[in-house]
Amino acid sequence: MYIEKKWKAKSLITYALLILFTLFCIFPFFWMLLTSLKARVDVIDPSVWVFKPIIDNYKNVFEKRNLLFNIKNSIIVVSGTTIISLLLGTLAAYGFARFNFKRKESLAFWILSLRMLPPMAVVISFFVLGRLLRLLDTHIYLIIIYLSFNIPFTIWMMRGFIEDIPIEIEEAAWLDGCSRIKGFFKVIFPLISPGLIATAIFCIIQSWNEFSLAFFLTTFNAKTVPTIVTAFLSVTGVLWGEMAAVGVVAIAPIVVFAFLVQKNLVRGLTFGAVKG
Amino acid sequence: MPAALVLAGVVIFPTIFLYYISLTNYDLSVGWQAKKFVWLNNYIYLFTQDPLFWKSFLITLIFVVSTVSFEFVLGMLVALGLNRIRHGRRLLLSLIIIPMVCTPSIIALMWKLMLNTEYGVLNFLLRLIGLSNVNWLGTNMALPSVILVDIWEWTPFMVLMLFAALQSIPEEPMEAARVDGASGPQIFFFVTLPMMMRIALIAIILRLVDSFKIFDTIYALTQGGPGSATEVFSMRIFRIGFQHTNWIGRASAYAVMIILVLSPLFSKFTKLIKEER
Repeated sequence: MYIEKKWKAKSLITYALLILFTLFCIFPFFWMLLTSLKARVDVIDPSVWVFKPIIDNYKNVFEKRNLLFNIKNSIIVVSGTTIISLLLGTLAAYGFARFNFKRKESLAFWILSLRMLPPMAVVISFFVLGRLLRLLDTHIYLIIIYLSFNIPFTIWMMRGFIEDIPIEIEEAAWLDGCSRIKGFFKVIFPLISPGLIATAIFCIIQSWNEFSLAFFLTTFNAKTVPTIVTAFLSVTGVLWGEMAAVGVVAIAPIVVFAFLVQKNLVRGLTFGAVKG
Repeated sequence: MPAALVLAGVVIFPTIFLYYISLTNYDLSVGWQAKKFVWLNNYIYLFTQDPLFWKSFLITLIFVVSTVSFEFVLGMLVALGLNRIRHGRRLLLSLIIIPMVCTPSIIALMWKLMLNTEYGVLNFLLRLIGLSNVNWLGTNMALPSVILVDIWEWTPFMVLMLFAALQSIPEEPMEAARVDGASGPQIFFFVTLPMMMRIALIAIILRLVDSFKIFDTIYALTQGGPGSATEVFSMRIFRIGFQHTNWIGRASAYAVMIILVLSPLFSKFTKLIKEER
């Protein structure tokens, strides 16, 4: 009886602390939502928690700030880089998973190490090259450069997913007269498509959130959503309400995407090495 | 392997190009044609003349060490808590992951609002419990504030990784230790922790590398200031290469230093992943 009580008290405290931590995690997001719905006078008064929500901030960012233009840029860049990475990356992943060739592992790990290269280390080269080739501030340049982190990621993720499928299934298809390519599309492809979708979502999230490269390599025409913050830094008396509205529009879809891949999150965070 | 070709194009070439630029005195305001080869002069300048090189190195070090250690300890506590409870794990976990998927530059700007001295919600909450205002982004508190935001953003990563590690280890050794009369902390340090060591190390290295690379959060929060109070390496590259001066050559030398510092971490990480597979 006593032990039971003690256990209950202990787990109650655990719950309380966990909930406290969770509140700490979601508070900034909640505050952003609140701020985006406030009128200008209320934004700078943190004691206002209950108020009549207005949508003026959202109207302003779409009408005056032309947020749609930045969203369009982001969507072009993100979908371009994701599609190319999935195509090239999955093919390479199939090669790594199913074929044996000389120095295979060292090549694979070299590719993995690329994923960890700091953007600041390569952004200078990209900037100078882009200037010389007149490619700065174009969608295609960002798409190509984002491949540098998306392809290694795709190769490692998809390699894991392909290796999860027993080779016997594929061999059975070959016996039935399928060629390797036909076998890949008929047998492997349906089985890896959940993995493919998860990988795509990870590519989308990391490309959408990328700031450093976009910040240096775009000025106007290809400016993506994360770099909008620069517009809010220079002005004195920042329009926090509008900023928060931009934030909600930019972040809410990403959070939804993240919920979709929650099951694969650990796998995604470790390039498929830890199955979670 | 078309993928390998693309990677060679977008990674190897720029890296070699970076080493090359770091040996020149290329200056954006002067132009590409006017640059000269200056051998190791940029590096010599960094170590002997640049007054901010060591300061920025120290700031980066403080930032990296304090964020990663706080995140690890806090993340471990939360993961252990999650491992103990029976209901609501999934719900709590889905909410906890929100910070790490938010666009860092944008959410950092929201933190800037929350940390504002006069009308920030953090000081408002402090006043509610009877404390006085803190000048969060002033010279003294700027670095701790930036660290706080990073802890907020990335502790969820640790929670997720460590929780996965806890879930993957078997129950029996812990049970056996308990029967043998080991106390809770003893079981944790001598049984649980060693078994989750590899995943923990992978998580720590990933965080070390990312923490070392930080740019967007600091740019949105303080832009390296006030003065150079939060000028980590990436920020320093931005300032000497693009913002204050246009010394691309010297900035490249800084970037090369980042690669050099991180490469031993890369190789350790590679080894751990090899074992895990």
